Amino acid sequence: MARVEFDNITKVFEDTSGPIIAVEELSLDIPDGEFVVFVGPSGCGKSTTLRMLAGLESITDGELRLNGEPVNNVSPRDRDIAMVFQSYALYPHKTVRGNMGYGLSLSTDLNDEEVDRRVVEAAEMMGIEDLLDKKPGSLSGGQQQRVATGRAIVREPAVFLFDEPLSNLDAQLRKHMRTELSRIHSELGITTIYVTHDQEEAMTMADRIVILNDGQLQQVGSPKEVYYRPANTFVADFIGSPSMNFFDVDLEVASDGTGTLVGNGFTYSVSDSLVDLVGGEGEYILSVRPENLNVDPSAPDERSFEATVDVVEVIGSDNFIYLDVAGKECRLRAPSEVEPEEGDVITVSFDEADLHLFDRNTEEALIHGHERAESSPKMIESEA
Amino acid sequence: MINETRRSRYLLYAALGVFALFALTPYFWVVRTSLLTNFAAINPETGYLPALDALTLTAYTDIWNQFDFVTFFQNSVIVSVSATLISLVFSIPGAYAFARLDFPGRKLLFYTAVFTIMFPWIVITIPVYEVFYVFGLINTLPGIIIALSIFVLPQTIWLLQGFFRQGIPENIEEAALIDGHTEIGAFLRIVLPLSAPAVGAAALFSFLTAWNNFLWVFVLTSDEDVRTATVAIHFILGSDVLREWNILMAAVVLLVAPPVVFYGLSQRYVGEGLGGA
Ligand SMILES: Nc1ncnc2c1ncn2[C@@H]1O[C@H](COP(=O)(O)OP(=O)(O)OP(=O)(O)O)[C@@H](O)[C@H]1O
Ligand SMILES: [Mg+2]
Repeated sequence: MARVEFDNITKVFEDTSGPIIAVEELSLDIPDGEFVVFVGPSGCGKSTTLRMLAGLESITDGELRLNGEPVNNVSPRDRDIAMVFQSYALYPHKTVRGNMGYGLSLSTDLNDEEVDRRVVEAAEMMGIEDLLDKKPGSLSGGQQQRVATGRAIVREPAVFLFDEPLSNLDAQLRKHMRTELSRIHSELGITTIYVTHDQEEAMTMADRIVILNDGQLQQVGSPKEVYYRPANTFVADFIGSPSMNFFDVDLEVASDGTGTLVGNGFTYSVSDSLVDLVGGEGEYILSVRPENLNVDPSAPDERSFEATVDVVEVIGSDNFIYLDVAGKECRLRAPSEVEPEEGDVITVSFDEADLHLFDRNTEEALIHGHERAESSPKMIESEA
Repeated sequence: MINETRRSRYLLYAALGVFALFALTPYFWVVRTSLLTNFAAINPETGYLPALDALTLTAYTDIWNQFDFVTFFQNSVIVSVSATLISLVFSIPGAYAFARLDFPGRKLLFYTAVFTIMFPWIVITIPVYEVFYVFGLINTLPGIIIALSIFVLPQTIWLLQGFFRQGIPENIEEAALIDGHTEIGAFLRIVLPLSAPAVGAAALFSFLTAWNNFLWVFVLTSDEDVRTATVAIHFILGSDVLREWNILMAAVVLLVAPPVVFYGLSQRYVGEGLGGA
């Protein structure tokens, strides 16, 4: 049971080509029992953060606390953590039983019987009782994954760390293990930090998602928050599949106070309250999720735009329609009965409630849809 | 299609056969000659496959009686085994450091070590002699052991660091650290057992290199009682046994036998180590 606090943590690697800032001034407070997923593109510092928490990587600056105690200089063995590696890192010369029991016999004074009882218990939890006397080399990838997870849970540590544990499994098994890991978390209630670069994994498993880019924290929030109220264009682009559409727009306010977003290839008139919220004319980035765009021939002109169909991707439940809007790609997710021909010109509209506006210079979020607008940009900061 | 693959397979076997003949003939000749009598060994009438009744072990008994081979072999074994052990004691942690740690000067040190493998040692024999002389190590077994340990060290380091770099599963020491080991504990209890094949291979090569070493033993000894078998053969060659080919060949067989036995013993590990299994 543990609360994990990152307080202004920075990690700099000294490389021959100069210093690499892997993590920059990361602050994060993870309450006991939470399932937090770190997500971000390759090289953004996810593993480094996790490894600092495990004690495998030194901390350049800042303070890391476990249950309020600074642990910057505590060795891995004294941190009461368990980690599942992407490569599993099972001991090849030990049986599954030996692998799972090893940490327990080393770090506790339980007798052999007690260790074995807990190993069997954990193995049952992971459904690997039959494999206990095999060596890792004779197991399939999925089984090895289970053993690695079993080795972690048998310890009943204060914190679980997972570094892309499912990325070597096939899609189906990955989905299955996702639910299984979630189940284990709710059964044990142990603080869990899980690293992945797969935003779908993050969305389905996390209590809170931590989005990193280039070593910097982009946003922390529940899956819904990061989906509906992305803090900046990076988060907006990263979360959701297919990813969000972005248009550079100018807000023009007529003398009667009505506002219009003017972009390359379309205009979209917005309500007065939105104009008020944004605070007048300016340059923005408008973005709308593909699932919020509709093909609607009867939409009013001032709230829709024309687009040419490039490609229609049929995925069964939905169709992904790739559009050309004045030379820019735009993605639209439509119900499967909407299936325009390639080359068709269609009318696309969206609801004002579904738009997001970002500052074009800072790329920070300004407005998230009409209804959620009032509190949104501030909500992002204060949620933690 | 089938014919073609079959034909190329015959060709392959034929080529392999020729090559094997080429490679094995000298060994055959050594063993054959060592089993002949003095006269038969130089008699042009003796066939390639001498008649069974012409074979004898007299060459072996002669050599054993004429020269102090017990001492030579004893020296060889002491020196080679000690040099192997000492070089392993230093090269295991050294190679591990080269493979896993990032310390200042790592590359420079490593390339220096690798360079010494290719170094023409003969050019430094005189200074080395002087150094050993100052320390009173000339004509002593410890002196030879020290020299050979240093001589085989670079190759052992080079062999082992390659294994530590590639043969040890990723993150395994880290898993051990998290499981409750100290760094030393993780190395001794997890990494080292996994490295047994590579250590076996390194031990074999050290042993062979030390056993076959001529230069250092020749330079650092003059007394017969600290001579190793390899150098002893040289002196036998130079003595009036010169024309006793059977005795000479018997000496060669005796010289080669221990490494072959040693190889047989460690082969189980070595195969795995080199195969990366
Ligand atoms: N030991 C190291 N020495 C030097 N630079 C490193 C080291 N480890 C990581 N880095 C650098 O730190 C940055 C963050 O790496 P990290 O492994 O944390 O990324 P990641 O988010 O886990 O990426 P991935 O999804 O590819 O695993 C990268 O730029 C990487 O090159
Ligand atoms: Mg990583």
